[in-house]
Amino acid sequence: MHAPPDNRLPLLESVLSAVSLGAIVLDGERRIVMWNGWMARHSARSPDEMAGQDFFAVFPELRGHRVDAAIQQALYNNFPSLLSQTLNKAPFPLFARPGVDQERLQQAVEVMPIPVPNAPRHCLIQITDVSLAVGREKLLREQAMVLRSQTFSDGLTGIANRRHFDVAMEKEHRRAKRGGLPLSLLMIDIDNFKAYNDHYGHQKGDQCLIQVSAALAAILKRPGDLMARYGGEEFAIILPETDVDQATLMADALRLRASELAIPHERSSSELRLVTVSIGIATQLSGQPVEIAALIGAADRALYQAKRSGRNRIHARLPD
Amino acid sequence: MFNLSELENDALVEIFNIGVGQAASSMSDIVNETVRMSVPSISFMNRTDAGRLLAGPDPAQERICGVSQNYDGAFRTEAILMFPEDKSLEIVRLMVGEAVPLKELTEMEQEAMCEIGNIILNSCVGTLANIFQRELRGSLPRYHLGTSDEILTATSSQDGTVLMLHIDFVVERQQIHGYVAFILGMSALHDLKDQINQYIARAMGQA
Repeated sequence: MHAPPDNRLPLLESVLSAVSLGAIVLDGERRIVMWNGWMARHSARSPDEMAGQDFFAVFPELRGHRVDAAIQQALYNNFPSLLSQTLNKAPFPLFARPGVDQERLQQAVEVMPIPVPNAPRHCLIQITDVSLAVGREKLLREQAMVLRSQTFSDGLTGIANRRHFDVAMEKEHRRAKRGGLPLSLLMIDIDNFKAYNDHYGHQKGDQCLIQVSAALAAILKRPGDLMARYGGEEFAIILPETDVDQATLMADALRLRASELAIPHERSSSELRLVTVSIGIATQLSGQPVEIAALIGAADRALYQAKRSGRNRIHARLPD
Repeated sequence: MFNLSELENDALVEIFNIGVGQAASSMSDIVNETVRMSVPSISFMNRTDAGRLLAGPDPAQERICGVSQNYDGAFRTEAILMFPEDKSLEIVRLMVGEAVPLKELTEMEQEAMCEIGNIILNSCVGTLANIFQRELRGSLPRYHLGTSDEILTATSSQDGTVLMLHIDFVVERQQIHGYVAFILGMSALHDLKDQINQYIARAMGQA
């Protein structure tokens, strides 16, 4: 059965208001000519309030970015655009419960050109809530991460292994660069460890590594901090969003903690005759990214400097 | 095989480089770091040769990831952005900055790949349409995964010539090679040649 012609417009309006996705229609001047019920529910702005408003007066933060480009593609080039949730983090301020929720709905957006008789082209912005799918994938990734962590830990000490360090370094380096954040790296070496092994034997040597690594790893509190076994008796700690001063404080706390373990070391070159560590610190300053190799190189040279200055001490340097 | 003169070829390469340049700047804005793209060369070939070019040494093994869009209006074409599957994983993950790689692109990552394709294809075709002062309509992007033959067949029924663009994509100092294929019928090819010549004439101030 067909609706009589004079009923079709109200019917279409009711349908648009009832559909489970957001629909915004803009005219050729980018004024809002339609704002459906779903948009009203998730933005707490009514269709009447939005009608006739300039789109970029309502969403000034979208101007000049991807949504703007997609609208231009639709209005001026007649091309539709797809804005994925992954590459565009929730562009519209839409919430499951506006005024209550802090977190925006996860959105997939399509911008389509709409031909209009006797008027410049319009465009339709469709917004789909993909929060469920995003949650599902997050779970999948977390499970993959758990599986991988089993091949990512050092067999002796249980802390992260070298492979884990390389992956984490890559990720944190990228994040620091994109966010303009500082990033610090500590290189830690147990002083006179070869002499310790020769004197006490390898089993004692292994125990020493386990004890020192566990004590130092326990000092790290933030989820992004990572301590890894870098080589034989060498450890590395990645400290994201950490500047030179904070990294120096952390390194000193670590150095102190190692000596507090009071593990006897007859062959130590210091008068303490205890197991101690030397620490090299390198920091990539915010907004001044360097290559990963340069950061590791700087931490290595700082560690060498700390050793040369008498061990059981820390030394900081900036990458060249 | 259909061919362009050296001048026509250079003009078309220049037009596509303007297009992918715009696409690269959109993508740089999305990821907040420099993305560079260029089209070093183009060539015309039939579909069998195009399939062979994409397939690499072991056609049965290598899977290709493709994003396709239809365009029609002043001329009709099917445009497909293609990368070997492992490269598409690399691109999406470089763009997203995700550290937990899974074996295949997830549903959300496929959508991201579609967006990347949408940006590149719309920029290429849009630049072409603007320079030719013609208007086209475009479809939304579709995602494909399969052998090169499967993708070339799935995306288009018309038995046209393939205009193949080699694309270099650079993000995070990693360079990735890919392709954009335009499948064009005979009339569209001749129309393309005419339009290029009008463009050249205008550029040289003869029109």
